[in-house]
Amino acid sequence: MSPASTRANDSDDVRAAAAGDRHAFQRLYRLHVGRVHGAVYRLAGYDHARAEDITQDAFIRAWQKLPGFRHESAFGTWLYRLAVNVALMDIRARGADPVSMLDDDHLPDTGETPFCAAEREELERAIGQLPPRARAVLVLHDIEGWRHEDIGDELGMAVGTSKAQLHRARGLLRKVLGASS
Amino acid sequence: MNEFEWRRQLRDLRQPLLPQRDLWGSIEAELDDAERTHRPVDGVLHEPRAARRRHWLVAAGLAASLLLAGGIGWRVLQTPTATPVASNTKASSHWKPSDPRLAGAAIELDAAQMELRLAIRQSPDSPSLQRLLDRAEQQQTQLRHLASQAG
Repeated sequence: MSPASTRANDSDDVRAAAAGDRHAFQRLYRLHVGRVHGAVYRLAGYDHARAEDITQDAFIRAWQKLPGFRHESAFGTWLYRLAVNVALMDIRARGADPVSMLDDDHLPDTGETPFCAAEREELERAIGQLPPRARAVLVLHDIEGWRHEDIGDELGMAVGTSKAQLHRARGLLRKVLGASS
Repeated sequence: MNEFEWRRQLRDLRQPLLPQRDLWGSIEAELDDAERTHRPVDGVLHEPRAARRRHWLVAAGLAASLLLAGGIGWRVLQTPTATPVASNTKASSHWKPSDPRLAGAAIELDAAQMELRLAIRQSPDSPSLQRLLDRAEQQQTQLRHLASQAG
């Protein structure tokens, strides 16, 4: 199916789902769950159970908010942003402190740790160990490709703070990878 | 490895991923549940809890009113100088004894019954509200009986 016809079907299903059609919403779920869950899984620190709870919650909220969807953006983009927001709310609800999960003092002091090659699983494991807020900034910027302005808006922080968090997160990540290699 | 390659490696992590289990069943069950209980899915459970809390506040307030009314009636009966009250013992929602102390109790009981009937109209299946209404009616009957005895 071409992207254009996918979008057309998507749009029909969005309208039908907004009017209460569960089958249409199920089709939207099937179409978008991979992208949504991938982002949520990374933000949740690669925790499968937690990511599944958040993804489920995101789709339930999407169903509820669908009647208010104005078609100003693609449905997939709207849903993705909504899911990221739910994941970030989860981080905030857990009282995520930038240093709550991994203190710099517990990391080996390797000075300017060089960028080192890492296997995918190793990299994911290291990201999962980052403090939640620093991880959120790193995931959104370096993996999801968000701008600092958007990250700042979503996380309620200044652009400068987002940049500082990213710098810190990268440093922590390199240290974790350096320690494990 | 330079920074550019390292960041490209990070960007490569951006891939779709399906949940380990199909979440649709759980999502649908949650939506069914929300529709069945007529509660909003977002901010879950707040409305029914708030409604329950309101009912209990009403019930607690009415119970206090009943106790007050019962207490006033009892004190009036203990007082030998109680003046004769209206002999109208026929069931009436606006029964007003002439003794001001009994009249106060009667007004409290009337108001309590009216509030309870309104609350029961909103929550017809509430056994606690029904019990309170039964008790209010019993107390009003007792008050009439005692008032007629005093008279």
